[in-house]
Amino acid sequence: MADRAGHQTGRLTLRLILAALVLALACAADAASVTVRVRTPAGTPVEDAAVVLDAVSGVPPKSRRRATIEQRNRDFVPYLSIVQKGTAIDFPNRDPFKHHVYSFSPAKVFEIKLYAGKPANPVVFDETGVVALGCNIHDWMEAYVLVVDTPWFAKTGADGVVRIDRVPAGAYRLRLWHPRQKAAVADIGIELRGATRHIDLALDVAPRAIVAKPPLDVGGY
Amino acid sequence: MILFRTLERRIAVVFVGLLVVVMLMMLLIVARSGEAIIATESERQLTAGARNVSNLIDRDRRQLELAASVLSGDFSFREAIATQDRATVLSVLRNHGSRIGARVMMVLSLNGEVIVDTQRPGKPSRPFPFGDLLRAAESSGRSGDVALMEDGLLYEIVVVPILAPMRTAWVVMGFPVEDAWASEVARGSGLDVSVVATGGIRASSLSPTLRGALERQQSTALSEQPRQLTLEGRNYHAVALPFGPQARVLLLHSLEHSEAVFRELEHALEIIAGAGIALFVIGSFGLARRIAGPVNALARAAQRIEAGDYSQAVAVTASDEIGQLAAGFENMRSGIASREHKIMRLAYEDTLTGLPNRTRLTEHLAGLDPEAAAMVAVLDLDRFAPINDALGHPVGDRLLQQVGARLAGLMPPRGKLARLWGDEFAFVIEGADELSARNFAARLLAALREPIELDGQKLDVSGSLGIAFRPADGRDMDALLRRAELAMYSAKRRQCGYTLAGEVGDGPPPEQLSMIGEMRQALDRREFVLHYQPKLALASDRVVGAEALVRWQHPERGLMPPGRFIPFAEQTGFIREITPWLLGEVAAQAANWRERGIRVVLSANLSARDLLNPDLVVLMRELLAAHELPPAALCLEITESALMEDPTLALSHLAELAAIGLKLSIDDYGAGQASLSYLKSLPVHELKIDQSFIGSLATSPKDAAIVRSTIALGHALGLTVVAEGIEGEADLNWLAAAGCDIGQGYFIARPMTAAAFADWISARVAAQAV
Repeated sequence: MADRAGHQTGRLTLRLILAALVLALACAADAASVTVRVRTPAGTPVEDAAVVLDAVSGVPPKSRRRATIEQRNRDFVPYLSIVQKGTAIDFPNRDPFKHHVYSFSPAKVFEIKLYAGKPANPVVFDETGVVALGCNIHDWMEAYVLVVDTPWFAKTGADGVVRIDRVPAGAYRLRLWHPRQKAAVADIGIELRGATRHIDLALDVAPRAIVAKPPLDVGGY
Repeated sequence: MILFRTLERRIAVVFVGLLVVVMLMMLLIVARSGEAIIATESERQLTAGARNVSNLIDRDRRQLELAASVLSGDFSFREAIATQDRATVLSVLRNHGSRIGARVMMVLSLNGEVIVDTQRPGKPSRPFPFGDLLRAAESSGRSGDVALMEDGLLYEIVVVPILAPMRTAWVVMGFPVEDAWASEVARGSGLDVSVVATGGIRASSLSPTLRGALERQQSTALSEQPRQLTLEGRNYHAVALPFGPQARVLLLHSLEHSEAVFRELEHALEIIAGAGIALFVIGSFGLARRIAGPVNALARAAQRIEAGDYSQAVAVTASDEIGQLAAGFENMRSGIASREHKIMRLAYEDTLTGLPNRTRLTEHLAGLDPEAAAMVAVLDLDRFAPINDALGHPVGDRLLQQVGARLAGLMPPRGKLARLWGDEFAFVIEGADELSARNFAARLLAALREPIELDGQKLDVSGSLGIAFRPADGRDMDALLRRAELAMYSAKRRQCGYTLAGEVGDGPPPEQLSMIGEMRQALDRREFVLHYQPKLALASDRVVGAEALVRWQHPERGLMPPGRFIPFAEQTGFIREITPWLLGEVAAQAANWRERGIRVVLSANLSARDLLNPDLVVLMRELLAAHELPPAALCLEITESALMEDPTLALSHLAELAAIGLKLSIDDYGAGQASLSYLKSLPVHELKIDQSFIGSLATSPKDAAIVRSTIALGHALGLTVVAEGIEGEADLNWLAAAGCDIGQGYFIARPMTAAAFADWISARVAAQAV
C-alpha cells in the first residue's frame, strides 16, 4: 500500500511539472529553460550544487547587482551564493554579537572586522571565481560565493534539481560546481532552442563537516 | 670436642648454632627473593614506565599537533600565507615557528608540493618527502610522526591544514628530538630515555659515559621484550619501543634504587641477625649457666663428698628440678655425714666418756713425727672395782665420765687423752722429756686425788700411772703401751703413784716370753703337779691340814719350784689360768681324800690378781657344789702384800669368800705393811707368820719376841696362828711352848705328792695308834 501511495505522489508531481512547462512555453516562445538534476554516483540528490550557463558568444547581459549573505545563528545564510560579477553583497549580522567576516580567496580578499548590524558598505565581488568566506571568531562558519560572468545560474535545492529559465536560445557551456566537490567536472557544451532541456548530472561531493557549535551563553558572552 | 665438654657449652652451642643456621637460611632466602623481587619489580616498573613513555610521546605529539593547529589558525598567519608572497610566507613561517619551538616549517600545497621550506629557502618546489604523513593528514585532518630529515636529525613532524575556512594548504612543523626532549620524557616517566635511530643514539637522558656504554651495547639492548644489562657496573632493565618508522625509544630502568632498598633491608637483617645472635649467645650462655651452674655445683659437691669432705652443705637456691635434686643431694650428704660421724665415733670414740679410744690414740701417735720425742702414759684407777660393786655400775660409769672430764681438762695443748678400757686411761704427750713428764704426773695425780662428788657423796679417787717414752722405750704404740702398763702395775704394787718404764725394766726377758707359751703347753700336757705339805696341830700332834704347792714337771729343766715361775705368771697374768686349774685340783683332791677318810683342810695360795678377780667367788661356789665339799674343807691363803694391792677390793672379796664359809688365811704375815686395824677388819681365820721370822728363832731374840707377840696378837684377834718353815725340833718345841697352834716345815714333813701324802698320813696314824 505504501508503495502504491508513493507512485501516486510521483505521478502527481510529474503532472504538475508538465503543466508548468506547458505554461512556460506559452509565455516565451524564443526562450529556453534548463533543468538539471545533480546526484552523487550513488544516486543521492546533491544540494547546493551550482549550475552556471556561460554563453559561448556574445556579451552576457547584466542582471541583478545586489545580494545578501546574512549571519544568523552563527552561520552564514545562505551557504552558497552565486552572483554575477560586480554584484555587491551585504553581510547583515542578525546575531546579538559581532562577527568578523573574511576571505583570503584570490577572487576577492576582504575583511569586515568585528561588526554588528549591517555594515555601511556592501562588498562588491568584481572578479569571477570562488570566494570562500569565514568568520575569524567562529571557525565553523563558512560560506561560498561563486562569482560568474553570466546571469544564467542557479543552485540545486534539497532535491538536487535546479531550473534555469528564460535562457535565450544559443550555444552554452554548462558548468557544474560544488564547494565540496571531490573532483572538478568538465563543462558541458549545450545548444538551447526554445524548449526545456533536461540534464542529469553526477557529482561526487564530500559530506559537509558538521562542526558542533559551542553553546550560547545565556545573558553572557 | 672441646666445645661440647661442658653441659653449659653444649646447651649454648646447640642453641646458638641453630639460630645461626636459621638466620643464614633467612638471609639466603631474603637475598634470593630480593633478587627475584628486584627483577620482577624492576620489570613491572619498566613496563609501567614504558606505557607512561608511550602516553607521554602521544600526548606530546597531540600537543604539538594542537599547537600547530592553533598556529595555523592564527588569522595573521593565514593572512600572510594567503599573500602567496614567498618571502613573506618564509618570514612568517620562521616567526610563528619559533613561537612554538618548531625548527622546521614548511607549507605544502594541497596536492603535496613543498611550496616553502625554512630549511631550503629559495629552492624550487618539490614533493613532500613524507607522503604517508600527508595521506594520514588528508584522512584525519592532521597527522604527526617521527622521522629523519635531510639534515640527518630526527624530528617530530606534524602536518596540519591551513583553513580559510576550507583547507587551502598544509603546514608542516618539525620539532627536533634531542637530549632535552629525552630528559623531559625521562622526568615524566622515571626511566632513562634514549632514542636510537640508524647511526646510533640521537638523544638521551643518560650521562655521556653511560651513553657511550649504551652505544656499545645497543644491539643487545634493542629488544621489545624487557631484558637486563649492565652499564658501567650498574644493572639496568631495558626495553625498546617503536618510535616512528626509523627510530626506537630505548628505556632503561636502573635496579640501583630497588637494589639499594634491598641492600638496606639485608643490612638491617644482618644487623638484626648479628644482634640476635649476640643476644642469643649471651642469653643461652646465661640460661646454660643457670642450668649448668647448679649442676656443676652439685658435681663439685659430689666430688667433695667422694673425697670424703662432708662438711660443706650443698646450697639449694632454686625450687626447680635442679633445686629438688640439690635438696635430695643435701639430704644424702647430711645423711652420709651424720652416719660417717657416727661410724667415726663408734670407731674412734669411747661411748661412755666421749674420749678417743685406743685405736684413735694409736692413730694419733702414728700421725706424729716418728723421730720426735713423745711420752705415752697409762693411768689405772685404784680401788675402782669395789666402788663399782658397792655403788653399782651406773655410778661407776658416771665416775669414769667425771674422771675422764677431769683428765681431759688437765691435758696440755700437745697431749691427747683416751680411755683404753675399764678404769684404764692413756694419753700421749708430744715432745715431753722425763722432767716434764714427772711434773705432769705429779700434777695429774694430785688433781685426781681431789674427791669427786656424785649424788652428794664424795668419792676419793686415786690412780697409778705408768709412763713410757719414745723412742727410749719403744717406737710403736703397742710396745709403748705395754711398757707403760707394766710401769703402771709396778707403781700400783709399790703404791708410789707413778713409775717410769725405764725404772721397771723391759718386762719379761725373752726366755720368759717363751715361758708363757711353755706354761700354756704345760697346762695342756698336765706338767703342773700339786705337792702337799702337812700342817700339824702342835697341841694335839695331829695333822689337821695340808698346803697345796704347785710344781712344774718341766720336760727339760726338771721339777721347778713355784718361785721359778709363779711370779712371772703373776706378772704376765697367766696366773689367771693357773689358779682355776689349781683350785679345781685341790677341790677334787679334798673330795677324794674325804672319801678315803683323810680329813684334812687343804689350803691353796691366791695371788693378788686372783683375789681381785670378781669371778673367784663364783668359781669357789661352783667347785664346792661340784665336789659336794663343806666350805670349811678348803682354805685360801693370801699374802699380806697381795691384800695391799687393793686393800678395799681385797676386803670386799674376802668378805664374800668368808660368807660362803671358806677358811681364809693370811700368808707371810709380817713381811707386808698391813695395819692392825686393817687386819682386824679382815674376815680371816688364820694367820701364817712369815717363815723368815721362824728360821731365826734360835738366834734372834728380837724375832722370837716378834713371833711370840704375833702369836699373842693372832690369838687376841681370835685367829689360828700358823708357823711355817720349821726346820728343827727346838723350833718346834719353842713354838709349841709359845702357844702357836699349827706348825709346818721340813722338820714335820716336806711337800709330797698326793699319793705320798696319803701314804705318809696313813703311816703316821698307824704309828700313833700303836
